[in-house]
Amino acid sequence: MSFDVSKAMEWAYKDMLTFFPENVSTFGSELDQLFAMIYYASVAIFFITYGILIAFIIMYRHQEGRRAYHYHGNNLVEFTWTLLPTFLFAGIGLWSDDAWTKSKSAYRVPNPDVTIDVLGYQSGFGWQFRYPGPDGVFGKKERNQISSANPFGIDSNDVHGKDDLVIISPGGARPVEAHLPINKNVLVNLSSNDVLHSFFLPNFRVKQDAVPGQWIKVWFNGTKAGRYEIACAELCGSGHYNMRGLLIMDSQQDYDAWLDQQYKLKKPETAPAADSTAALAVAPDSTTTKKN
Amino acid sequence: MQTAIAHAHDAHGNAAHGDHAHHHDVSFIRKYVFSTDHKVIAKQFMLASLLFLFVGGFFALLIRWQLAYPGEAIPLIGNILPDTWVSDGAVTANFYTQLLSLHGTVMIFYVIIPLAVGMFGNFCIPLMIGTDDMALPKLNMFSFWLVPPAGLILLSGFFFDSGAAAAGWTGYPPLGPSSGAGQTTWLISLFMIGFSSIMGATNYLATIVNKRAKGLQFFQMPLTVWALMITAILIILGTPVLAAAISMQLTDQYLHTSFFMPDNLLVGARDNSVLTGAFIQKGNELLEHKQLLGGGGQPILWQHLFWFYSHPAVYIMILPGMGIVSDVLATFARKPLYGYKAMIFAIMAIAFLGFVVWGHHMFQSGMNPLLGTTFMLSTIVIAVPSAIKIFNWLGTIWRGDIRFTAANLNALAFIATFIIGGLSGVFMASAPVDIYIHDTYFIVAHIHYVLFGGALFAIFAGIYYWFPKMYGKMLNESLGRKHFYWSFVFFNLTFYPMHILGVGGHMRRIYNPYIYEFLQQFQPMNQFITFAAIILGFSQLILIFNIFWSLKYGKAAPRNPWQANTLEWAAPAHPGHGNFDTDIQVYRGPYEFSVPSRTADFYPQWEEPQGQPEEVVAKDSHLRQHA
Ligand code: HEM
Ligand SMILES: [Cu+2]
Ligand SMILES: [Cu+2]
Repeated sequence: MSFDVSKAMEWAYKDMLTFFPENVSTFGSELDQLFAMIYYASVAIFFITYGILIAFIIMYRHQEGRRAYHYHGNNLVEFTWTLLPTFLFAGIGLWSDDAWTKSKSAYRVPNPDVTIDVLGYQSGFGWQFRYPGPDGVFGKKERNQISSANPFGIDSNDVHGKDDLVIISPGGARPVEAHLPINKNVLVNLSSNDVLHSFFLPNFRVKQDAVPGQWIKVWFNGTKAGRYEIACAELCGSGHYNMRGLLIMDSQQDYDAWLDQQYKLKKPETAPAADSTAALAVAPDSTTTKKN
Repeated sequence: MQTAIAHAHDAHGNAAHGDHAHHHDVSFIRKYVFSTDHKVIAKQFMLASLLFLFVGGFFALLIRWQLAYPGEAIPLIGNILPDTWVSDGAVTANFYTQLLSLHGTVMIFYVIIPLAVGMFGNFCIPLMIGTDDMALPKLNMFSFWLVPPAGLILLSGFFFDSGAAAAGWTGYPPLGPSSGAGQTTWLISLFMIGFSSIMGATNYLATIVNKRAKGLQFFQMPLTVWALMITAILIILGTPVLAAAISMQLTDQYLHTSFFMPDNLLVGARDNSVLTGAFIQKGNELLEHKQLLGGGGQPILWQHLFWFYSHPAVYIMILPGMGIVSDVLATFARKPLYGYKAMIFAIMAIAFLGFVVWGHHMFQSGMNPLLGTTFMLSTIVIAVPSAIKIFNWLGTIWRGDIRFTAANLNALAFIATFIIGGLSGVFMASAPVDIYIHDTYFIVAHIHYVLFGGALFAIFAGIYYWFPKMYGKMLNESLGRKHFYWSFVFFNLTFYPMHILGVGGHMRRIYNPYIYEFLQQFQPMNQFITFAAIILGFSQLILIFNIFWSLKYGKAAPRNPWQANTLEWAAPAHPGHGNFDTDIQVYRGPYEFSVPSRTADFYPQWEEPQGQPEEVVAKDSHLRQHA
């Protein structure tokens, strides 16, 4: 049991905004700016209201012989202080809406350069990634073929599915390591086979729940090569804390090299690889796939 | 006490009270246990909920210890807890998940709601509208007596092999229904407590509408009564939806109805259940033939139903507090409440808007992002009436003559913390900003600023304020102030740094954050928070000590110790069953403090105007409220 006072008190003397992990996605900086804008507005409102509160507490504390002012209020004042916050909040709302559509809305997902599938799973707790393979085309998902050996339900009759690449945890307590290229629009189709999870990439300002029965589109564009952590942000059972994964952002060459290496590791005749500890799988509902 | 009762009855022996005429004959059980007296029921709510406060607080400290020193044995008690809960004296991941689920559930459903609504609703409404009791006293008694069994059912989960509920206080499917008997106890217990809420709320509405004292108009009622009345409407409209959702989750768990479960969903833990029996077997048979399992359900549907209740529920928890704070501030600033009507309309606006913002809990849930935009805008709108309330409270203390009693200190602290909680709400209301902070400690900080800093401080204010009327004894002021200062300081030291953790990306509900490299730097801060939380927890013992000490040694309370205006202070110092010993006639609004033409700085609602005809005064005060 140890205790480092100066680290423990960091919250008191460092600016809140400095605690953000480094942002490495395109829209991430816009979200950070929006946060900062609301933060500065809040700090201003905080000092004004606290200033008034403390001033009144001191100025109007009980004193012998003082008598309070008998006054019930004033409609003009009420009107003014209704309108002021309305304008401020409306401004925040309008700015937010733009950033929201850009980062989240399925209708605005830009043309993807790379598309992958991601599944969160509960038995063993982790993430699995699926790449389309050398032919660049995903095998069809067939709900009846989902099993723990084939969690994505890749249709065995579809030739495009034969070369699909599935990346899983290398086993033990080691986290899964997925690679993606930088400066590319990445589209993730996200789902789960069992309970809710939430695909959280702190450095990319990405968070999206993974919902069984539904394939949800998530996109981002990473700006800096490096090794980043993947977390789960939705309670999914007692191993929820243990869903750490790694996302390696590579230059295009490094990414291609990694993919090649993975293709070689994968023997062509075997069925799509899968984590043997993976949960019993669920069929992705084809109607919701369409909707997204 | 006997004399007070007798007294109340001598003056009040009208027909309505005939059946209560022989109070001294009433058995102990009827008087203190299965009582229909609204004041006794209020005290029962208070005691039960304060007990639960310590249960929930104990869970919180176990959680905090794990976050500060994961894997290290809990001091003092680590080695005496059963093996199913701890290993080597430290909580297990499984037990941790149960603890966080029950902490939230207990605090919200068994502490804040029963205190804010059950206790103050029962105590304040009949007294503040000048009547003898609730409209439906028996219903009232039932509404309390559902609480203890419901709470025990909830806690009983800890003694199952599969443990207590472990899907969070939100119980999201598929995790919820796919876990064992603990989740069943959670569902049943919430159903019961919801039923209790509905019974209470019906009663409050019936009482306020039908039993106001002579001359008491709606726009002469104190804010506490207004807030409780609107809260009752929220309960009646919202809780049935929760009840429906709970029933659906229950049938999903046992009858495989699949309201919330999509196709072919096969998750393991069902077999752990001790209650499932035949259903498990049936379920396992069905599992063999996947297709038969039904499916076609939507996990997100639960979230819609749950938050359709639970967002209004956060206002169920805070509105009574806002009412209490308004009354306490006005009394101790010796000033009329600033903008009485604006305050009431703001509560109505919050209550109405509260039903159209539930989706702000679901921005990242997979719900259509277009809906996210709608919910973002409605949520931002709801911040406006909240701001109006802050401004009016500041207006109330402006040019007042402020007394810093324990009650008023807590009320002032409510304003201070609600400002922070409201501001953090605006961050999360912005859907794109919420992407990053959703399900992090930023949310945990927000929750605690509004629920502990807001609702609970208001409840403390109410306890200090009305204790004299409840027990006929004054609470010790100096202990009260100590309790306040310790609570306020360590509350902020505990919960303010959590905003920073959230900005750092620290997820909520995780057993060991330090698995993640980017969170390792936060361990010292988590330790700081844990130490602050331990002191905060122990500070609450001052309140408990004060209550028991004052009951025995406290000064006898006068009828109107705070020189306040509202009707409860017209009742005897320690009112018996039936409440009032005089006929109550109301002449004016509740906040006529420091009226220039009078020597006394208060002007009770029940005091007959001297020399002037009634109508003139009533009209006059009516006009002044509009000014
Ligand atoms: C200015 C007013 C408020 C605004 C704009 C606001 C906004 C929000 C938003 C957007 C969330 C969802 C955040 C997320 O999960 O990502 C939230 C969560 C929450 N709010 Fe507020 N809020 C306000 C006031 C209150 C009040 C008065 C209370 C309670 C008395 C409250 C209690 C809660 C609770 C308990 C949660 C978390 C629920 C959970 O996920 O466990 N809020 N608030
Ligand atoms: Cu998780
Ligand atoms: Cu809400």
